[in-house]
Amino acid sequence: MLMHALHDEGVELIFGYPGGAALHIYDAIFRQDKIDHILVRHEQGATHAADGYARATGKPGVVLVTSGPGATNAITGIATAFMDSIPMVVISGQVASHLIGTDAFQETDMIGISRPVVKHSYTVFDAKDIPRIVKEAFHVATSGRPGPVVIDIPKDMTAPENLFDYAYPKKANIRSYNPPVKPDQNQIKRAVTEILSSRRPVIYAGGGAIASNAERELFQLNEILDAPVTNTLMGLGIYPATNDRFLGMLGMHGTYQANMAMHNADLIIAIGARFDDRITNNPSKFSPGAKVIHLDVDHSSVSKIIEANIAVFGQVKNSLQAMIELLKQNIDKYSKDDLKEWHSQIAQWKSSHGLNYEMYKDESDAHPILPQAVVQHVYNVTNGNAYVTSDVGQHQMFAAQYYHFDKPRRWINSGGLGTMGFGLPAAMGVKFAFPNEEVVCITGEGSIQMCIQELSTCLQYNLPIKIININNEALGMVKQWQDMNYGGRHSESTYQDSLPDFVKLAESYGHVGIKVEKNSDLKEALEKAFSMKDRLVFVDVYVDPAEHVYPMLVANNSLEDMWLSKDKKT
Amino acid sequence: MIKRKLILIMENKPGALVRVVGLFHQRGYNIESLHVDPVDDFSSYKFIEERLETKFKENEISRLTIQTLVSDSLMRQILRQLNKLIDVIAVSNEETTYIKGVLLDENLL
Repeated sequence: MLMHALHDEGVELIFGYPGGAALHIYDAIFRQDKIDHILVRHEQGATHAADGYARATGKPGVVLVTSGPGATNAITGIATAFMDSIPMVVISGQVASHLIGTDAFQETDMIGISRPVVKHSYTVFDAKDIPRIVKEAFHVATSGRPGPVVIDIPKDMTAPENLFDYAYPKKANIRSYNPPVKPDQNQIKRAVTEILSSRRPVIYAGGGAIASNAERELFQLNEILDAPVTNTLMGLGIYPATNDRFLGMLGMHGTYQANMAMHNADLIIAIGARFDDRITNNPSKFSPGAKVIHLDVDHSSVSKIIEANIAVFGQVKNSLQAMIELLKQNIDKYSKDDLKEWHSQIAQWKSSHGLNYEMYKDESDAHPILPQAVVQHVYNVTNGNAYVTSDVGQHQMFAAQYYHFDKPRRWINSGGLGTMGFGLPAAMGVKFAFPNEEVVCITGEGSIQMCIQELSTCLQYNLPIKIININNEALGMVKQWQDMNYGGRHSESTYQDSLPDFVKLAESYGHVGIKVEKNSDLKEALEKAFSMKDRLVFVDVYVDPAEHVYPMLVANNSLEDMWLSKDKKT
Repeated sequence: MIKRKLILIMENKPGALVRVVGLFHQRGYNIESLHVDPVDDFSSYKFIEERLETKFKENEISRLTIQTLVSDSLMRQILRQLNKLIDVIAVSNEETTYIKGVLLDENLL
C-alpha cells in the first residue's frame, strides 16, 4: 500500500538500506517494478543522494531506512536538507506498535530525534492513513519553504495482511498549513517606489530563489534594473555568473566587489536569502546606509537578523513577477544611467582586488599546484556545463569562487549545515537524475573519507562520476583558522602520513584512479579523466598545503573588513 | 526582558505539544509557565473556522497559554516560528494574532 501511494505520488526513485523493521516494505519493493530502489552503503549516503537528486531536479528526494541505527544514521542527511530547505521525504521503519516504548531491538524514537531538523513528521498509527499521510508529507515537503518530512511506520502497519480499500487522495488538505503564495500588492508598490529612487542598489539572491525556480524572473527584473547582482553560496547559478552584472558570491569568502557593494549599497533587494551569519558578519555593522526589501516565502526569515524596511511574503517567483509588472508600468521613471557612477565604483573595486581567474595558465613546476587552478581547469575541461557537488572546507570555497555557474541547480553543496561527506553521495543522486550529464564531485581528502563507502554503490549502478580530490594532506579550513587565530598551532588537523593511497583505493572499488603531483601534469590528467565517459575516475591532486582561502571577512566587523591575503587587510 | 503571555490554538495531535516546547528550547527562548486545555466550546473561535473554512469538532483542538520572558524583537520572531509549526492553527500575544500566515493587528485569542 505504501508503494502504491509512492507510485501515485510520482516517485520514481528511492534511496535506502533495508533492515528488520522495514522488511515488509522491502518485500513490496521486490514485488513491483514501477519504482527503482538504490541500495547505498550507509544511510547517511541515502539521505545525501536523495538530497542531491532533489537539488538538481527540484523534485523531492525519497529515502527509506529501517528503525534504530538506520534512522539515526539518516539524521545528518536530514539536518543537511533541513538547513538548506531541500524537499525530502524520509520513511523510517519502526518496531511493531505493541513493542513501542519497551526498548525493543533496534527501537529509537525517530520522531523525537528528528524533530528539530524536520519541517514536519508523521507516525502511522493506522494503516488506512498511509495514503493520506504520504500525500500530506509530499505536500508539506515541497510547498512553502521546502524541507524534509519524516514518516515513521511501525512494522505491523506494513504487514502484507494489513489490507484496506485503497484510494490515493487527489489533494492534501491540512487546515493548519497555508504557506503564502501571492504577494501583497501594497508591499509590491512600496518596493517598486523604493527601487525607483535608488542609486546604489544590489540584488542579493539566495537558495530560496532557486527553490522557487525564479531564474527567469530574476533575469527579467535585472534586464529592467541593470543592477549589480550577488549570490549567496546557496544561490550560485540563479543569475548567470558570466554576466557582466554578476559580482560573485558574497560573505565570509565572497569576492571583494560583492562585499564592498553590499556594504556601500543604498538598497538591498534580498530574494530568497536569509542574512545568515556568514553573510552579514557583525549584523550591527552590516550595510549601514542600505534600506532592505526582503522577498521570502518564510515569515520567520524576514527581520530575523537584519530588519527589513519592506517585507514581501509569497513565492519569490510570484513576487518578482508582480514587481516586474509594476516596474514596466513605471519604466519612464527609471533610468539605467542613474546607476553609472555605482557601476564604475564597482568596476574599480573589481579591478583592484577581484579574483584572478587565470591562475590555470601558470603551468610552471617551480611551485606546487594551487587549488584555485584545479577548479579553473575543471571549469575549462567541462566547458562550465557540469553539475558540481562539493564537500565542506577550503575546496568548497574554491569551487564556489572559481567555477562560474550560469544555470541554477548545477552547484550542489551543503551550505547551512556544512556537512562533510555530502559530495560523493550527492553526486550519485545527481547522476541518477541526469545520467547523460557530466557530474563532478570536488572534494578534499578529509571530506571524501566521511562517505567513501559509496564508491561501492557507484560500482553497483555504474555511475561514471568524476571525483576531484583537492588533497592538501590536512583539514584545510580548520588549519587556516588555526593559522590565523591560534598562532599556527595545528591541533588535530593533520593526519601524520596516514592517508590512504587513493589511486589504489579507487581501483579496489573497480574504478580508475589518477594521481597528480606536478603542475605541468594537471591539465592533461583532467582531460584524460573526463575523456573516460563510462568510468568513475578519482583524480587525487596534491596541492599546496599552505594555501588559504581569500578574501575572508575579519570576524565581528563589517563586510568592508576583509583579509585579502595572509598579510594584507582592507 | 518583559514577561509576556502567548496563546496558541493547535491541533490536538500526538507530539504537537512537544513540537512547541521543543521549539522554545531549540531556539533559546524561555518558558516561565505552560498551561494546556482541551477546547470544547468553539464559540469564541468562529472567526478561525471562517478563515480556514473548517469546522472544529470535539477533542480536535487545544489551547495553550505560555508565559515567557522576552524582548520585543524576539517576541515577533517567536510568534513567527510558532506560526510555522504545522500543527499550530493560530498564535497571539497582546498585540497581534497569526492565523496560518495571516497577521492580524490585534489579540483575538
